[in-house]
Amino acid sequence: MGKKIKKSIREMSKREKRKNSLNAKVFNAAAVHSIILGFICFLIGLGMYMNASMQDAMKEAYDKAHENLDIVKQEVDPGKFSKRTLEIYKEHRSSKMDDTYYAYFDEINNDKDYQRMIEILCDTRTEDMSDYFLAVADQKNGKLIIVADTDPRPGHLYPVGKQQSVPGWFQKYFFSRGNGSFPRTYYFLFSRGVICVSGAFIEEGNPEAGFVFVVVRATDALDGVGKFILQYVIAILFAIIVMGYIMTKRMNKSLVEPINSIADAAKAYVADKREGKIDVKHFSNLNIRPGDELENLGLIMADMEEDLTLHEENLTRITAEKERIGTELSLASRIQSNMLPGTFPAFPERKDFDIYATMDPAKEVGGDFYDFFLTDEDHLCIVMADVSGKGVPAALFMMASKIIIANNAMAGKSPAQILSDTNKLICSNNRENMFVTVWLGILEISTGKLTVANAGHEFPVFSKGGAGYELCKDKHGLVVGLMDMAQYVEYETIMKPGDKLFLYTDGIPEAKNAEGDMFGLDRLVDSLNKYPDVSAEQTIKNMKLSVDEFVKESEQFDDLTMLCLEYKGRNDM
Amino acid sequence: MFNIISNRDGDNLTIELEGTLDTLTAPDLKTRLTEELPGVKKLVFDMQKLEYISSDGLRTLAYAYKKMSEQGSMVVRNVSEDVMEVFEITNFIEFLTIE
Repeated sequence: MGKKIKKSIREMSKREKRKNSLNAKVFNAAAVHSIILGFICFLIGLGMYMNASMQDAMKEAYDKAHENLDIVKQEVDPGKFSKRTLEIYKEHRSSKMDDTYYAYFDEINNDKDYQRMIEILCDTRTEDMSDYFLAVADQKNGKLIIVADTDPRPGHLYPVGKQQSVPGWFQKYFFSRGNGSFPRTYYFLFSRGVICVSGAFIEEGNPEAGFVFVVVRATDALDGVGKFILQYVIAILFAIIVMGYIMTKRMNKSLVEPINSIADAAKAYVADKREGKIDVKHFSNLNIRPGDELENLGLIMADMEEDLTLHEENLTRITAEKERIGTELSLASRIQSNMLPGTFPAFPERKDFDIYATMDPAKEVGGDFYDFFLTDEDHLCIVMADVSGKGVPAALFMMASKIIIANNAMAGKSPAQILSDTNKLICSNNRENMFVTVWLGILEISTGKLTVANAGHEFPVFSKGGAGYELCKDKHGLVVGLMDMAQYVEYETIMKPGDKLFLYTDGIPEAKNAEGDMFGLDRLVDSLNKYPDVSAEQTIKNMKLSVDEFVKESEQFDDLTMLCLEYKGRNDM
Repeated sequence: MFNIISNRDGDNLTIELEGTLDTLTAPDLKTRLTEELPGVKKLVFDMQKLEYISSDGLRTLAYAYKKMSEQGSMVVRNVSEDVMEVFEITNFIEFLTIE
């Protein structure tokens, strides 16, 4: 017992650990969810932040282009140079782009106003501009022709008339949308990083008048991103811890606590049951009210507890009932065996015969019976009978049959008359069609004359004149109790000193072994003839051994009843 | 194993018994008889496939015999050797009509 308690405490500590692991799972789940959610928010936030920065940079490019164009326009007309450049370009665009070609634009280069315009443009150029020039687009071939460039780096300055190819997706900004405001956009180029692009049309609605084009490097705009990320990560971490804590608390309340309280109730239930308590109400007293499956689980467990209690009560009642029936049956069994002559030697003062018998019912009580008694000083009545069926019904019928037969025999009637009268009495009140097979003999002890009537019972076995046992296929009448008009015949046989009679019920020949084979009459007779000269008692005991040896482990199916009579005669008196 | 196959033809009822008629199976036969016997003038038991009959089986046959002697006749046919031996020992042959 001590061992058991120790073990269960060890198990308990394991179980405590398991409780904590559910807590940890809930916290982990909350944290993982917060991290995933935080990362998604971070990406969205980063995108929005960058977009806002780009918008600012593009607006700056757009505003600069317009402001600077206005400054230029106060002194010169830039549209004039754009239109002239386009004209000259159109005349010579098929020629080679060499010095001869660029010489065609000398008239523009030499114009004082043009030179002044270049000056103004260079003055208004700022550090963050990577490109800042005036250009015009050729609608026909989609090329961009530089009108005035401001690149301060040596060798990078494009001359007027320089033709620039631009990608198709880029072109639409300059050609199709000549009227309305200049578009703003940004690109990521591997060579230059993120760039923001905008500009200003020189004449509204007239793309041939050219435009100011401004490209701003966006690196400044992106400088803030690092700081933004740092702030964001700190905020997210804080949110994760707070969310995890809140969710763990909430899950604890709505999930872990109810589960633990059910587990505690189950633990208490098991403990109480081990102590043998009957009316246990651990689950019924649970108060789980989260309004979900756990509440259902609690209610189901309470129902189960109630059912188990009910079942247990039933079981206790049934067990008690069974015990009562068992007690009654064993008492009935004793009463029944007391009804049969059971003290041996039965007639110690008689030396002229020896008789021995046993009844071994398959259930507590049986339907077989034997009987023997002296009807007077010289007459011994011997009965071997088998009631149809088994158990209590057969036992009740057997008791009645035994008494009626004995009463009739004691009245001094002949065997056939005894059976006939017994039959009539039983038939008068036998709606269940119970019947009994009866072998009845009356031995005149002084002469050895045996008068027999057989009502449907098994054949007797005689051993006569020392010739060994032999089955005697005697005349049969109908079983007792079925038909009130049944007639019984009787026969006589003479027993000589040393002759024996063996009687039995069908339980002996029909005893089965595990293979389903029956003991049978042949084995019965052979077994008797193994030791033909032993006493009546030993003959019965030998037979019982033979049957046991044959059936081995198989359950005894039918009652086993046997009787052996040895006639010794007057000489031995 | 036990099987009851009954075949009603007007006033005639044929009951085929198959297997073992003992304490466990006799109540089934009794129930069938109670249900099917009313109105039957001739009852035939075909015992070709009946392997074993116990005392409870005999009781049920006696029940059928008594019922039929009030309302008609009863015949037992195709009795196997083992079953016939039981009929002989118990002397059921005295009142049963065996074909």
